Order: sequence, then C-alpha cells, then structure tokens
Amino acid sequence: MITAFIQSVFVEPWPFWAGGIIIGLLVPLLYYFYNTALGVSTGYGNLVKIILPSRHLKWIKSKFSETWSWRVYFIGGIILGGFISSTLAGSPGLTAEMGRFTNTLQWPALGNGVYFFAGGILLGLGARIARGCTSGHSIHGIANLHISSILATILFVIGGITAANIIRITLLGGSWL
Amino acid sequence: MNKKLGFLGFGTLFGFALSRVGASEYDLIVGMFVGEDYTLVGVIVTAIIVGTIGMQVLKKSKQRTISGEPLNISYKKLGPWSLLGAAIFGLGWGISGACPGTVLAQLGEGKLYGFFTFAGMIFGTYIYARLKEKHESL
Repeated sequence: MITAFIQSVFVEPWPFWAGGIIIGLLVPLLYYFYNTALGVSTGYGNLVKIILPSRHLKWIKSKFSETWSWRVYFIGGIILGGFISSTLAGSPGLTAEMGRFTNTLQWPALGNGVYFFAGGILLGLGARIARGCTSGHSIHGIANLHISSILATILFVIGGITAANIIRITLLGGSWL
Repeated sequence: MNKKLGFLGFGTLFGFALSRVGASEYDLIVGMFVGEDYTLVGVIVTAIIVGTIGMQVLKKSKQRTISGEPLNISYKKLGPWSLLGAAIFGLGWGISGACPGTVLAQLGEGKLYGFFTFAGMIFGTYIYARLKEKHESL
C-alpha cells in the first residue's frame, strides 16, 4: 500500500490533473504567504544581471536592484525539483536526447545546440515584450481573470501551433498524426 | 518563513510537478501544438481552474495574506508591442518544446539541449534589455 503510493508519486508519470492541481494551488499560496504573483520569466533578468555585463542598462538598473532576489531562488528550486523528480524515478541522468527532434533528425550536436539556442532567444525576448510567460500570464493571469493575460495566451498558442507545425512539416517529415 | 527559502521550496515543488507530469518533455509540448497529445492542455486547464477557485476563496474569505497585509494582485498590463511579443514567445515555445519554467526542470533532469534553450533565454532577455534602452515602449 505504502510502496504503491511511493511508486505512483515518485516513479510513475503523474496523471495530468495531479500536476494541474499542484501548479494551480501555487497561485493562491504564493499570494497568501508572500503577496507575490507566480511568475518565472522575469527572473531571467536577474540571471542577465548576474551573468552578463548589463549593470549600466536602465531596465536592469531599475527593475533588478536586488540581484539575488526571491526570483533566483525560485528558479533554483525548479531546477532542483526536476533533478529530484528524475533521480527518484531512476532516470539515466545527463542525456543528449530531446524527444522526436533528436530521434528523427540525427543532426550534429552543434546544429541541435544552435536550434535550441535560437528557440530560447525567441522565448526570452518574447516573454519580456509580452510582460510574462506561461506561468505569469497563462496560469496566474487567467486565474485572476485578467484580459491582458487571456489575450497574451491566445497569441502564445497561435505562435506555438504555427512553429510546431512548420517544424513538423519541414524538418520532422510531417509524419505525426 | 523566510521569503527566499520559501521560494526555493515552492520552486522545488513546481519543478517536481512539471517534471512528473511530463511538461519537460519535448514530445508532449510539441505534441500539444500539433494536436497529437493533449496531456499538457489538461495540466494547464486544471491549473487555471484550481488557481481561479483558490484566488476566489482567498479574495472572498480573507482578502489578506498570512501576515495580515491586504492582497496586492499584480495585473500585467500589456505594452503596445506585447501581443507581437506574445506571438514571438509562442514561436519559441513551439520551436524549443519548452517554456521559461519547464526548461529549468529540463536542466535538473539533465537534458543537455535544455542548457542551450536556457542560455538562449538569458540572451534573449539581454537583447530585450538592450532594445529597451532606446525603445521605451517595448
């Protein structure tokens, strides 16, 4: 009984609703404990300040006066959570696999690296211009019934459907579905 | 509770949940966009429903935080370019099969190409900071 419970929490993949409930509860819990909105992408500004020479830039200076703010700890926690999850589930650790992309394409490592780096640039730049990402807009914002977040999420999804289908048809052979 | 330690803990719970439910899998994110697998749509919709109910309970019953402060709900006001930015973000989401939260779970899981997405995100944020220098409305 207890073994079965441990197995289903730490080893088996969760059903969608279990993850949804925990992620959804973060929104009221973070307000209740810290009066703070759930959000991840703004913390990348802290990382820019830590890693790149950017302290002279107005946006960094005005928005990130506290370099090691709670946002950096939140980011660290998410990394730690992923590590605990995969370790307890007995995953092999470091892997150069990225699902169908690396399985289908067999590109050299540098090609894959450039591809994912480029995707990351769009995510980082787009999230800032949009004023938030999946957590800040799509979960926190919509849970607070904010029109701006509903609009942003619609555009997130349109962009995602467009890019994923273009990649599927041009690179991955269009064989899905 | 110390705010930074608290966020380390809540972040760990968030990353653990993202990873257990498969949100850090390239195939599930791209699969959602090409209509192959709607697991993550279920996760997001459940999270929105639970978050909405939780916020309504908090707003109606307490209206205050644990330390007695009035709730300060953050409204993310869009700028003139924000919907374009959201579309750019969406393209990045569909290309990389990750978003700013799930890429962090990928890092913890040891997915090496997640490091490239992550580095790109930092660089993309840096580009924003540089652009913002001259274009205040961004």
